[in-house]
Amino acid sequence: MIERLLERASRRADGGADALWRQVERTSVAFEWGRLKAAGVSEEAGVNLRVRHRGRVGVAGTTAVDASPDDVLTRALASAELGEELALAFPAPASAPPVATFFQPVADASLDRLMAMGRSLLEQLEREGCRVNVTIEREIAETRVANSAGATGAYRSTAIGVSAELWRIAGDDVLAIGDVFEAADLPGDDALGALVQSVNLRLEHALRVVAPPDGALPVVFTPAGLSALLLPVTQALSGKAVLQGISPLAARVGELVFDSRFSLTDDPLRVGRAASRPLDDECVPSGTTCLVQRGVVERFIYDLETAARARTQSTGHGQRTIFGKPVPGYTNIVLGEGGREKGEGGDALGGGLLRDVRDGLLVDELIGVGQGNVIGGAFSHPVALAYRVERGAISGRVKDAAIAGNAYDLWKRVGGFGADARWTGARYTPSVLLDGVSVARR
Amino acid sequence: MIDRLTAALARSRADYTEIRVERTWSTAVTFRGRRLESAAASEDQGGFVRALSPGGGWGVASFTSLDRLEAMVARAVELSRAVRVTPPIRLADVAPHRADAILDLDGDVRGVPIAEKKRLLEAYNGELLAVSDRVVDTVASYRDEVSEYWYINSDGTALHELRPEVTLSGTAVARRDGTIEKGLESIGLRRGWNSVQDKAAGFREAAERAVQLLDAPMVTGGAYPVILDPELAGVFIHEAFGHLSEADFVYENPQAREMMTLGRRFGRPALNVGDNGAAPGLRGTLPFDDEGTPTQNTPLIKDGILVGRLHSRETAATMGERATGNARAISFRHPPIVRMTNTYIANGRGSFEDLIRDVKLGVYACGAFGGQTLLENFSFTAAYGRMIRDGHLAELVKDVVLAGNLFQTLDRIDHIAGDFRWNQMGGGCGKGGQAPLPVTEGAPHVRIEEALVGGDVPAGSA
Repeated sequence: MIERLLERASRRADGGADALWRQVERTSVAFEWGRLKAAGVSEEAGVNLRVRHRGRVGVAGTTAVDASPDDVLTRALASAELGEELALAFPAPASAPPVATFFQPVADASLDRLMAMGRSLLEQLEREGCRVNVTIEREIAETRVANSAGATGAYRSTAIGVSAELWRIAGDDVLAIGDVFEAADLPGDDALGALVQSVNLRLEHALRVVAPPDGALPVVFTPAGLSALLLPVTQALSGKAVLQGISPLAARVGELVFDSRFSLTDDPLRVGRAASRPLDDECVPSGTTCLVQRGVVERFIYDLETAARARTQSTGHGQRTIFGKPVPGYTNIVLGEGGREKGEGGDALGGGLLRDVRDGLLVDELIGVGQGNVIGGAFSHPVALAYRVERGAISGRVKDAAIAGNAYDLWKRVGGFGADARWTGARYTPSVLLDGVSVARR
Repeated sequence: MIDRLTAALARSRADYTEIRVERTWSTAVTFRGRRLESAAASEDQGGFVRALSPGGGWGVASFTSLDRLEAMVARAVELSRAVRVTPPIRLADVAPHRADAILDLDGDVRGVPIAEKKRLLEAYNGELLAVSDRVVDTVASYRDEVSEYWYINSDGTALHELRPEVTLSGTAVARRDGTIEKGLESIGLRRGWNSVQDKAAGFREAAERAVQLLDAPMVTGGAYPVILDPELAGVFIHEAFGHLSEADFVYENPQAREMMTLGRRFGRPALNVGDNGAAPGLRGTLPFDDEGTPTQNTPLIKDGILVGRLHSRETAATMGERATGNARAISFRHPPIVRMTNTYIANGRGSFEDLIRDVKLGVYACGAFGGQTLLENFSFTAAYGRMIRDGHLAELVKDVVLAGNLFQTLDRIDHIAGDFRWNQMGGGCGKGGQAPLPVTEGAPHVRIEEALVGGDVPAGSA
């Protein structure tokens, strides 16, 4: 399909073309409020085409793949007529590193197997006064990319997502605790057990509500709770933000900006992760990108277009959907050493970091992350799920509290990393202790 | 197409089957500063089947290749039979409808060349940039679509619609030294090309606001009487209350059901709230929802008392209530779930001046940069604010963030003015992985006798 399309495109676009074709098949089962309610399948295929003509770049996408390929080509050329002039060079063929993206057990998992997995989770999570939602989604995909310079790539991939969410409503107190397992391969009993354990642990400590503390305090962020602290940094490390002149890290390459124990890597070659792939959506082979090493800003991520505009090389971070043009995007983000698995205290909330906290908070979820001027680093959020820590242990859940701070200031001095590193979506981090976070009562 | 769907549906062995097919033509143009970031047209098509077998669960199938229609009907039936549900899923009765509705396209966007759409947006983007050399960056975007829609179900409903939509938005970023402020303009209409002409004034105002905010002090955090402008009041009622009135949250959760018992007092007698999917000319308006139920005006809070909720056919049957036409899907990729349409706080009495007259020190919070509700807690970022001093509007303030508990805050609404308006904004609502769903919010000015306003965020640098 895309070979034919590229052949036609090369005849009409004088500066070449590239294309992505992707077919995705999903199977899902949903348990709603404790009951199996629905099973579904979806089949989707589409193509995204980019052309360069008279120095200008245009894109078009369609899921009407059976329609004539000339339609999508004509629309891409019309888009290029308006597009900006850009010295976009399509990469020549290069060998992509091997990475396993397709796991047969996932592809083979029957509907019965997925339902049994959900039922087992439900049985382990249900309890008096609570309701549980469980969703399992399995994905089998095939991706093909190619360009007019002769580069091509094709790979099949699998992914599975298991999410569980427990709701407890007592009067006007609403408590929701959830967790998600996401990977390219099927979860073993240990992984599902960890999911149950994670929900139970957080529920157990949440039943007692205590008054929040007040002031500039030590706060332990769980791997899930870290979003508000990492989002400004990943946004600022995108080449797109650098080009737009909004990245506070733009002129800081080579400088020590963070705590010397703070390292951040993007790794598309992690085995077993759903975001892993041998090459990006623009035919650039995958490689590990060190973004921050021991506190020093190393590099930004680029796709072909932002790299052309910044006069640098793509780092292999081109991501594209069927619609719209490619954009730079991360794959698997790894914080810290990356290799460290569970250590002492790793099974406890906070990964062993609580024992050093005399009075503070453990934050697992915040409200409004991503709102406002994120990239500047300043944040201010009410807590959705947080616990008070007193004399090294959790004393209960706090409700009406908000935290505020500046991510760049807080990352300058890290109080400690927990021994509980885990994947949260496509991010691998431990819990982190940060000092001097402003905590306010409401 | 309806004949083809009817033939496919006739082969279903389920008790209930519905099929939806959509074909959407869309164009998107984006400017960033003076640079055209992209201008592209897309075509999206696909179908959705949902089946319910006796004693079975929902079997759902979606697909982009229409050649797969018959196979996917069979697959949905098979999936429904594989899921055993007790007690069985029931659907509230809805009389069958047959309709062919071409909504007012108001200048069919499919007939307008993409170059002309680019020119229009370039002009509005130019308005943002021309306001001041303090405006250092802009993001302006234009998006339109026309969607052809077919729906049939085994109760005898057959619908064909042509649905237009057009959205325009502009963000101006003003900067002086280290200070960065934003102004936002957003327009979203279920109409066409003619309706987005002559919109320059709103873009200019957004940029002017961003520049003015450079000189505005940060609001001092604390508890104040707060007046919400109609835009923020609309966002508030949608986010903080509307989602709790969606019956899928309560229908099979006894504790949630108790929390949302009809007859419970939610506010003072002045408070009236509803959702109206049939209000003429709005973005959240359609003749039918995605289960073929006619849309309607549903009162939710009447004189401060909870009187209604939003339903799909399934949630209505479970709770012994009537379907309200609120089962909506963002596209053929998704099943319909309970959603809002056009949600509003109804008109009260008096003017804005009446609301501020006896306020010694308060905050007038205007516009919305964002908002999130988690359970009973919410946080909203206003676009800007004005202090109210001794009954009069005073200085402009920035970083006005409202946070609080829903139940307490609704109960503290003590005055509602008589200056209702719908906010025809772009963006949309997100739920269950389905976003953005076109919705509208409307409200008059609303006074909360005391609310917590946050403002002071510690300064920092990279």
